[in-house]
Amino acid sequence: MISDDVKASMRAICAEYPTAQSGMLRCLHLAQETEGYITPAGMRAVAAATGARLDEVESVITFYTMFHREPVGAHVIKVCTSISCYLRGCDDVLAHLEARLGVRRGETTPDGKYTLKTIECLAACGMAPALQVNDEFVENVTTASADALLARLERGEGVAGLGGNWNLDNTHTTGNGAGASSDAARAGARGGKAL
Amino acid sequence: MAEQPREDLVNLTIDGRPVSVPKGSLIWAAARKLGIEIPIYCYHPKMEPLGACRMCFVAVEKMPKLATACTTVVTEGMVVRTDTPAVKKGRQGTLEFLLINHPLDCPVCDKGGECDLQDFTLRHGPGGSRFDVSKRHFAKPIPVSEQILLDRERCIACQRCARFCQSVAMEDGLAMQERGFRTEVGVDPAAPFDSIFSGNVVEMCPVGALTAKSYRFVSRPWELKKTGSVCGLCSVGCNVRVDVRVDKVLRQYSRPNDDVDDGWLCDRGRWELDAINSQERLRTPLIRKDGLLQPASWDEAMRLVAGRLREIAERDGPGAVGGIGSTHTTNEEAYLFQKLLRAGLGTNNVDHHHGRFPAAAPGAVLPWAWTDSIAGLERASDILILGADPYHRQPIVDLRIRKAIRAGARVHIVTPEPNRLDRLAATVLRYTPGHTGEIARALLNVVTAEGLTRGEFAAQRAATVEARRASVANDTPEQVAETAGIESAALRALARDLAGAEAAVILYDEMATREPSGATLAADLLDLALLTGNFGRPGAGVGPLMEDNNSLGARDMGLLPDTLPGYRLVADQDARAALGAVWGATLVGEPGQTYEEMLGGGVKALYVLGADPARHLADAQLTHLNGFEFLVVQDMFLTETARRADVVLPAVAYTEKDGSFTNTERRVQRVRQAMQPLPGAKADWEILVGVARALGLSWRYLTPAEILSEIGRTVPLYAGASRRALGELGACWPLSPGARTPEGRPTVSGSPFLTWEMFERGVAPSGVSGATGAAGPELAVARGREE
Amino acid sequence: MADTLDTVITEGKALPLGPYPRIVTKDFEVPGIDRIEVYRQHGGYAALAKALRDIPPDTLAEEVKKSGLRGRGGAGFATGVKWGFLPKTAPKPRYLAVNCDESEPGTFKDRMIMEVSPHLLVEGTILAAYATHVHHAFIYVRGELAFAGRQVERAVREAYDAGLIGKDILGSGFDLDVTVARGAGAYICGEESALMESLEGKRGYPRLKPPFPAVVGLYGGPTVINNAETVSTLPAIVTLGADAYTAYGTEKSKGTRIFCLSGHVERPGNYELPLGTPMRVLIEDFGGGVRGGKRLKAIIPGGSSTPFLLPEHLDTPLDFESVAAAGSMLGSGGVIVLDEDTCIVAAVLRMSEFYRDESCGKCTPCREGTFWLVQLLERLEHGEGKASDLDLLNDICDNIAGKVFCPLGDAATSSIVSSIKLFRDEYLHHVRAHGCLVGPGARKH
Ligand SMILES: Cc1cc2nc3c(=O)[nH]c(=O)nc-3n(C[C@H](O)[C@H](O)[C@H](O)COP(=O)(O)O)c2cc1C
Ligand code: SF4
Ligand code: FES
Repeated sequence: MISDDVKASMRAICAEYPTAQSGMLRCLHLAQETEGYITPAGMRAVAAATGARLDEVESVITFYTMFHREPVGAHVIKVCTSISCYLRGCDDVLAHLEARLGVRRGETTPDGKYTLKTIECLAACGMAPALQVNDEFVENVTTASADALLARLERGEGVAGLGGNWNLDNTHTTGNGAGASSDAARAGARGGKAL
Repeated sequence: MAEQPREDLVNLTIDGRPVSVPKGSLIWAAARKLGIEIPIYCYHPKMEPLGACRMCFVAVEKMPKLATACTTVVTEGMVVRTDTPAVKKGRQGTLEFLLINHPLDCPVCDKGGECDLQDFTLRHGPGGSRFDVSKRHFAKPIPVSEQILLDRERCIACQRCARFCQSVAMEDGLAMQERGFRTEVGVDPAAPFDSIFSGNVVEMCPVGALTAKSYRFVSRPWELKKTGSVCGLCSVGCNVRVDVRVDKVLRQYSRPNDDVDDGWLCDRGRWELDAINSQERLRTPLIRKDGLLQPASWDEAMRLVAGRLREIAERDGPGAVGGIGSTHTTNEEAYLFQKLLRAGLGTNNVDHHHGRFPAAAPGAVLPWAWTDSIAGLERASDILILGADPYHRQPIVDLRIRKAIRAGARVHIVTPEPNRLDRLAATVLRYTPGHTGEIARALLNVVTAEGLTRGEFAAQRAATVEARRASVANDTPEQVAETAGIESAALRALARDLAGAEAAVILYDEMATREPSGATLAADLLDLALLTGNFGRPGAGVGPLMEDNNSLGARDMGLLPDTLPGYRLVADQDARAALGAVWGATLVGEPGQTYEEMLGGGVKALYVLGADPARHLADAQLTHLNGFEFLVVQDMFLTETARRADVVLPAVAYTEKDGSFTNTERRVQRVRQAMQPLPGAKADWEILVGVARALGLSWRYLTPAEILSEIGRTVPLYAGASRRALGELGACWPLSPGARTPEGRPTVSGSPFLTWEMFERGVAPSGVSGATGAAGPELAVARGREE
Repeated sequence: MADTLDTVITEGKALPLGPYPRIVTKDFEVPGIDRIEVYRQHGGYAALAKALRDIPPDTLAEEVKKSGLRGRGGAGFATGVKWGFLPKTAPKPRYLAVNCDESEPGTFKDRMIMEVSPHLLVEGTILAAYATHVHHAFIYVRGELAFAGRQVERAVREAYDAGLIGKDILGSGFDLDVTVARGAGAYICGEESALMESLEGKRGYPRLKPPFPAVVGLYGGPTVINNAETVSTLPAIVTLGADAYTAYGTEKSKGTRIFCLSGHVERPGNYELPLGTPMRVLIEDFGGGVRGGKRLKAIIPGGSSTPFLLPEHLDTPLDFESVAAAGSMLGSGGVIVLDEDTCIVAAVLRMSEFYRDESCGKCTPCREGTFWLVQLLERLEHGEGKASDLDLLNDICDNIAGKVFCPLGDAATSSIVSSIKLFRDEYLHHVRAHGCLVGPGARKH
């Protein structure tokens, strides 16, 4: 439900910009977070907050791939299929997930738990293949770790914090040693954990 | 032709030919000037350049890549070529791309024959396609509105339609959806496309993606006869091209006259053509015999009309006959009608159904008319819409207001009902219907009481200002808030906005003057404009929005009991003498009966031309209509009034005759015959000539052009008017004869806005017969109080 | 750090081995560096304080010009020169937009900066705004990068709370607001003018140029658009000074940049290296060489929009000029390595699908051309193509390149044209053998 609080948040977002319409994408994200997808009520609330006409809002929604125009599963699994992930086996991961979930890409499982999608390069090419569950990263995915991932989701555990396995380890050469170990790198911002 | 000053012109060559165009012009426009066609899809001269379709490639010296002619501004000394191999390959490439997903269904496509894709492929395209994989497919045509169908397969994503809806009409409608190769245009189901401007997208679509239901599979364009004319529906008078197939008007397209319509047309003008094509139209004169209307010959009918009118006039005096004229017929016809009554039957009993404007004060020459122009709206900083609904009643004026809004104008909507412009307005105020006049007085109250008067006019007339202040002293916004249910503080703020505006236009509906409180509405608003300095220059002004296509022309032509053509009073001896000399008649000096008086039974014989008073009368008054000794109705249809007539004379539609209309901005424009008259019916002017001759008058008009030339000689506001002088685009009165064109064609010059001097001095150029030239006293300020 | 400079690079030639100093990412391993306290403990915001105290904006801009810093977003345009295009006076306010839309396949450095050290980005943003007299900056974060977005939002909040953003920053009299904006899934919104449209709440269609953003940009005002890494380099330039900074890199490509190494290598990842470092050093020394001891087949040096290079180009120095001389572009710094088992046709098909799906659809050649290209590549990959398809592909690319509205369309042709040139036989094998040279080929996507 788009509550009055949500509407107020939308207005506050729009107020951060020189024009209210600039808040469009953030308001749409908010509408989607609130209701799972962009509902007619969500669209109307965004139109009201941004001062845009409904047809403009619709036009914007359809341009961007992140907005769901229909209900989706509780877990939206988005597998990157762009070049770097492709080179490291994303097609196998995708096929494996299709088989495990019994749906094809773009579809939602009948129980409404999972939606499987493909997505363009996620800026995780160094940890390819990569995927997202809702908006959280899971990296260096193998068919085995994909199974572990599904098990984790079945157990009701989230995946936040699994991504960000950054390797910027310049110590492999006779380098200046400015970098600490790669473990430290992971600890740097957010520990990238194994599944 | 007026040349631009040198420094504003840019010189370049295209394909080796030199051309000079104004600074800021696009290469496309420069090429057009040379008659060089550069194909375009996404570009539309009335919208910002987009550069999306990549069709208009040209080669420009020193530019490494091909340039798009629709986005590249000319520079001094630029060398452009439109015929290099690279240009040809670029255009071919784009056409090939457009065609890969475009169905080759030209044989069944309505656009076939007038499709830019077809035409440009012929002239610029590749011989064949190398595309041998599968095309994208969409479900067949989907309705996007009540009247428009969309074939997504045919769409070339030029965005013209979406950009029109978004940025010109500024209304919900077609929008771009999806992206990339999945791009389509569409309508959000929650935001239906019900704009009155929707049809423009059909006209703009360069391919057959958007088609009108009414025209689908009806005709091929080469079967159509196309005639440039003027739309006959509302008082805007958009210029149109009437497309006729055999005996049916299939559609009207816009024929751009930027000052009037900016190249657009509303859906009424485009598609509301049922009346013209109706099977119900009258095809023979009818005469009441044995209580029933029965077919008769023209000869018999006209002789009967003339005989009975003469008989009653001779028996009971000329005052026993009268005529009610039309706001739809041409100027020529309105002129002949009052001439028939005044000169032929000797009575001033002539009027029509119109707004109620206090009679022109003695000596004042100009009537109530919009003192600015439609195009002038673009230069306004503020526009007040008081009790008017241009979206529904004068749609293309509404569209121009939207353009003004884009240019920065603030719009103030003060109307009883919600208005389509509310969403875009700076002020929105509602009030109880019927109280428009009080609101005008309240605005005047604030301006005079708070000392907000501005400008020379007010400065030089302290006493007048004081008189006006006193006259509206009680009409405070707070007072009016009680009676009219309007927010007083906002009304006060609005008056201050108008007084402080750089240039404000005040528009009201002609019909608001008929409200109980509206008797002095016109005068009060004129004063408001005068006293706030919003007068006498483009972008500032005041005036009524008229009702019908020739509401103003009907008044101009003297369909009024107290004024002759051109608003000269019947009481004016000189005016009467001058006209009488031309007409070969002695004219009566007594004002005649009004519309209400005649319909109330003040005359015994009534001639109703192109009007249906039964529609406007309360049931109780209707009985009077049955009480006339002789009632003649001239119309296209058997109207409620005609059913009660003794003689019915079948008239034709505006598409079936020549003539002129005068629109709400005082523009006199030519209407041209686009089709054969309906067999059995005649043009109103022809019928009038017939009746006049049956009356024994020696009228010899063979064409409407001759009548217009007579108007040009006898009506000062129309001085110099003639079919040739009005040309394709018309001119706003007061007209004065202009210089001849190099080809020897006469011209007239018009007045896009009225100054106070024009009001005071009168407008008739000297030497024109009937000109009074009398200096008028202060018009509204004095007269507003006489009521 | 400056004392190690002389050992790194001389006269535009990188030494094959030796120390590789990290400037931008130097503190990325520090635990908690994403929080303002830790960031400040490690010298964070000192550059900002120094600039606000000692360096007038125009001097700072001059300093950046002197540093030779070139944009890290792809085109490699000199940042200081770009700032110089801003009109001195304009009727409308001027804006800064920091481009964190990172979506170029093979590129993943900006996401790292945002996730690991968002304050570095924020400090750089403030410096860029200060140098260009901007009082409202936007950080446009790609929609999919939710965690990165949250990190940046929190960093901005922390900076506001610390008085580093807002009114009268550090008592300097300089006012700045920073607003974080979010994308929602559209590669094209990384293109600067599409980014502005998107930021204004519209479809991400690129805008007509001219006018260029520096003259008419966001909300009609003069606008600077800089890549995330570009602004994140500014604190280092302020700290080191332009002279010290220019000691890194080559004659025309100064400083370091973050190279994103991905594909068939042992240790993919982000490596900050001086510009001009040979590609071999990145791939073999840092990346550990081709995965599984396989042979190298091809390299895409600057993200998927750039043409292929061959193993013979391995010693090409990674700087703008050298990579261009080798026939490709340094682009966004995404180096993608393909091993001998890779089917080039399949890889090109995969990249072409990306451009087809990410084309905004505004202009005809890109919208329709990418659709057609994919169809042809698909049939070639599946052994159903004709030899003449290669000429057709080339000609379609010619009808796209240079004729489209924005560079995306040009980018869509790079891998096709270069692969047909370099791997013609492999294409023809697909035609002749009705199948793939190296393996099962790509699945239908
Ligand atoms: C299709 C396309 C996508 C782009 N994507 C990005 C991007 O994701 N991030 C980025 O910083 N620049 C991107 N750019 C480059 C920007 O247009 C712009 O040049 C850059 O942000 C300028 O910053 P810089 O001068 O600091 O490099 C892209 C350009 C194109 C044509
Ligand atoms: S429907 Fe017609 S006008 Fe509209 S975008 Fe498509 S081709 Fe253009
Ligand atoms: S290609 Fe998958 S994250 Fe870049």
